[in-house]
Amino acid sequence: MENAWLIPLFPLLSFLILLLFGRQLKEASAYVGILLTLASLVYSVIVLAGRLQGPTFKTEAGWLQIGDLQLTVGFEVNQLNALMLVIVSLVSFLVHTYSKGYMHGDERFPVFYGYLGLFTFAMLGLVISPNLLQTYIFWELVGLGSFLLIGFYFYKESAKQAAKKAFIMTRIGDVGLLIGMVLLFWQTGSFEYDDIFAAVEAGEVSGTMITLTAILIFIGAVGKSGQFPLHTWLPDAMEGPTPVSALIHAATMVAAGVYLVAAMFPLFEASETAMMTVAVIGAVTAIFAASIGLVQTDIKRVLAYSTVSQLGYMMLALGSAGYVAGVFHLMTHAFFKALLFLAAGSVIHAVHTQDIEKMGGLWKKLRLTGPLFLIGTLAISGVPLFSGFFSKDEILISAWTHGNTFLFWLAVIAAFFTAFYMFRLFFMVFAGEARSQMKNVHESPVTMTAPMMVLGILAIVAGYVNTPWFGTFLGDWLVEGNGHGHTEGPVWIMLVATLVSLLGILLAYLMYGRRTMERDWLSSRLPITYSILYNKYFIDEFYERSFVYGAKAVSLFLRFIEVFLVEGLLKVVVGLVQGLGRSGARVQSGQTQTYGMAAFLGLAFLMLIFAITGGYFG
Amino acid sequence: MDIETLQSFEWGMMAPEFIILGVATILTLLDLFLPKRFNRKHLGWLAFAGVLAAIVSSVTLIGHDTDSILFDTFRLDSFAKAFKLLLLTGAALVLLLAVDYEPKEGMAEYRGEFFYLFLAALLGAMMMSSSGDLITLFVGLELLSISSYILAGLKKQNLKSNESAMKYVINGSISTAITLFGMSYVYGMTGTTNLKAMAGTLASLSEQQHIYILGMAFLMIFIGLSFKLASAPFHMWAPDVYEGAPTPVTAFLSVVSKTAGFIIMIRIMFSIFAAVPTGGQEAVPMLFEMQDYLAFLAGATMIVGNVVALRQRNIKRLFAYSSIAHAGYILVAFTAMSYVMFDSIWFYMLAYLFMNLGAFAIIQLLTANSGNEDISEFAGLYRRSPLLAVAMAILILSLAGIPGTAGFIGKLNIFMGALMVEPAHYVLVSIMIAATVVSYFYYFGIMTQMFFRPAAEGQGKIKLQTGITAAIAICTAATVIFGVMPQLAFDFLQTNFNQFVDFMQ
Repeated sequence: MENAWLIPLFPLLSFLILLLFGRQLKEASAYVGILLTLASLVYSVIVLAGRLQGPTFKTEAGWLQIGDLQLTVGFEVNQLNALMLVIVSLVSFLVHTYSKGYMHGDERFPVFYGYLGLFTFAMLGLVISPNLLQTYIFWELVGLGSFLLIGFYFYKESAKQAAKKAFIMTRIGDVGLLIGMVLLFWQTGSFEYDDIFAAVEAGEVSGTMITLTAILIFIGAVGKSGQFPLHTWLPDAMEGPTPVSALIHAATMVAAGVYLVAAMFPLFEASETAMMTVAVIGAVTAIFAASIGLVQTDIKRVLAYSTVSQLGYMMLALGSAGYVAGVFHLMTHAFFKALLFLAAGSVIHAVHTQDIEKMGGLWKKLRLTGPLFLIGTLAISGVPLFSGFFSKDEILISAWTHGNTFLFWLAVIAAFFTAFYMFRLFFMVFAGEARSQMKNVHESPVTMTAPMMVLGILAIVAGYVNTPWFGTFLGDWLVEGNGHGHTEGPVWIMLVATLVSLLGILLAYLMYGRRTMERDWLSSRLPITYSILYNKYFIDEFYERSFVYGAKAVSLFLRFIEVFLVEGLLKVVVGLVQGLGRSGARVQSGQTQTYGMAAFLGLAFLMLIFAITGGYFG
Repeated sequence: MDIETLQSFEWGMMAPEFIILGVATILTLLDLFLPKRFNRKHLGWLAFAGVLAAIVSSVTLIGHDTDSILFDTFRLDSFAKAFKLLLLTGAALVLLLAVDYEPKEGMAEYRGEFFYLFLAALLGAMMMSSSGDLITLFVGLELLSISSYILAGLKKQNLKSNESAMKYVINGSISTAITLFGMSYVYGMTGTTNLKAMAGTLASLSEQQHIYILGMAFLMIFIGLSFKLASAPFHMWAPDVYEGAPTPVTAFLSVVSKTAGFIIMIRIMFSIFAAVPTGGQEAVPMLFEMQDYLAFLAGATMIVGNVVALRQRNIKRLFAYSSIAHAGYILVAFTAMSYVMFDSIWFYMLAYLFMNLGAFAIIQLLTANSGNEDISEFAGLYRRSPLLAVAMAILILSLAGIPGTAGFIGKLNIFMGALMVEPAHYVLVSIMIAATVVSYFYYFGIMTQMFFRPAAEGQGKIKLQTGITAAIAICTAATVIFGVMPQLAFDFLQTNFNQFVDFMQ
């Protein structure tokens, strides 16, 4: 464990090699990336095994001295970090392998692997950071990697826009994180997680301040994890290549927000208001995104809204004091959602469209992808015996036992939605007859199917590390020594969860599988609801009208001041001095007086204020 | 003053200034007597060697005790040493840009002028950093300004360059007038021009009317000098002048001249106004009482710079607004006046020097051949020249303040400084963060151009010249190194300058 810092360096090495020699290596670049992430994966597993037996390991060195303040860098291997290391390096390794087939023939193949390396480096660096500042640094780097990868198909205008939008939307959240972080620093004198928690524990920080900083940090998590109301970038981010969606926008980066809240859990726990905020935002996001997912027709967008919704579940769990539930769902979700995305990629690879209206009948043609997609769908729908069932159950129990009855029922409804839209997706893609001409539909190469199979197995078995039947190993291990608590709940919750998910599946089956019900029997009865859902509650339009126009308006306004107001004044002055200044004005464009004028006005304004306030101090 | 007095001065303290003066003189003579066909580019390398020699001599002076000569008009304190190094480093990098500057109009016949005028400007800036007297400060300021006016108009055949010089000189004169008017009040109150003597006299001031007059003087001097910083309300000249001036001159104005502006600002404000009592219940110096005004101007500068930059298509105009915004960030540190103020301003200037000069080097490289300064000139840079694009990306990320770069550490320091004082400047810090977010829009606009746009038709390979390549390499490397290991710079400050405690001695 002493050398855990090496783990992020392998992908960094891959990035550097590909930056320098990518052009020569061409598609052999894939091997560089795959081997180096494999090294990270192997090392991560060793570290996890070490942490399962040994205690938490942490080491730090001085980095920066500002006045009397000492900032440090280092790394830490605690339960959460060790688990995250394995999740991230595993998914990254699988995505590296998968991309070899998926990106085959792309002329910027080495660049793609280079960006993947950069991203993996940043993400692994993020999860072993022992303090907030270091976390923030990698947090930003992760965002940069995501920016580059979303915009990978830069010749598409939409991809370019999506990349920019993703970066800026998440940055809005980061402002909250940065302010929260700096505030915490001034309250506790440290960026170290341990020191901050100790100070909070000892009551050195006032209650209001705890709530304020926790909520500010949560705003950062909201941006990164695509929670309401900063979620709109995530569906747009689907413009990136599909393996990227699987890695960044399903399994790792978007989960970073959840990870941050989990890592800062003692701070959140200390404030009832902050916990409530996290729970409410999580639950609202869960049902909100799930309801949008009901009507989308782009295969990746359905999955994107489903990701947003599932991340909402995790937040709900954390906000309901369900530390184990949140982290557990983070893990299972990483596997089954990565599986779903890779399978979706495989479908897209085969049929060259993302529109599910044009698909259908692929079950017979994609003999591997179909069953694997079904496994993922079953897992996310919470069908018993699959991994998602156990983790979702944990979340519902947490919400119930924490007393959030209303949020509990929201989550149950969201679970129903989830089962419905996922099976709607499944049936529309794989069942029935093809709804458009499909030529040369064939199964993907083994480099693509092999990673999917690994994830398929994990999507089934990953849940068994923490079940009410065979023991709660993961939960016991995660809370060991930090007392975050683990909850047991009534059995009926499990039954309800099973029931709603089966109901959702049944409804989807009737509407899209057997088609005994008219597909539009709902949308024709509720046209307005359908339109609202289809247009994603008009959130983008709202932002467009308010913020973007707002910023443009401010800009125009300032320009207006510059051009009309100041220049208008100038015209008066010019009228007076025209006779004198005619010859001199020829060289100038006539604006330079404006500049001097602005300076004089500024001075006069300050002088005026100075005079009004009396200019006397004290 | 007899010869013995003159000899008794320790002239060695002025060695860097003498070197620059000497080289400038030699260059003048060479330019005058060398035949026309001799390529004046070589004079640039001579100037570069001179600046390097001055850097070496400044470094040897670091261990020198704090002292002053010429009746306390020339000071060698930590402040002078530290900031002189910044000026010289910046000047050396600008010279690397300048030797490779070959605009389409051609300026071969008066190219030599550039180098000695440049050194004269540099000399003025260096004198300012060491001045202990209003007279020498002012002379240094004017030496810098007048040389800069000519430099801005050096492309004599180019209409825009002429316009730029004209606007610069007019605005500069207004600023000088305001500054001088303010200074005259202070002189009137104290009867001396020596900063230290002034501080002594002012400390015993108790008459409220006098304090009131000094408050007005404070505002006038600050507004006048804000011309050099290109900060609000004296920022409007910057875009026009930056756009028209030759690119190396723009780089000089945005970095070296701005640094010089902060030098004189700190010298005057902290020497004089930190000593003025305000006569309130608590003995707070006037400088601290004026924080609200400074905060207002800092905020306005950041907002104006970043918001107006959004609408720019010309890359040099865009960087002009960006440089206005950066002046605003540094003003935040100035406003906060925490005990790490000198360190954070110095570090920010260092980071800004590398990232901005590096960016200008790449701008010059891309725009010099085509003459097109539209931001679309960056389109597809990643395809045309991946390394150049990555270098530019690093520099831009640093300007935007993304972690892992020197720019981030600089901003972080300023945040910390502004929040560590009592009462903390929450509002100002919030404005700064918000303004930074706005800046992502235009910085990432350039990134989008470089990485996500195809190159225009018919654009060939980019010709890399020695000087400019070296400048880009140094700047990019330094941006990363100081971003990852900022302790290098802070250790250097702490071991050698001891938090600038000798500033007022």
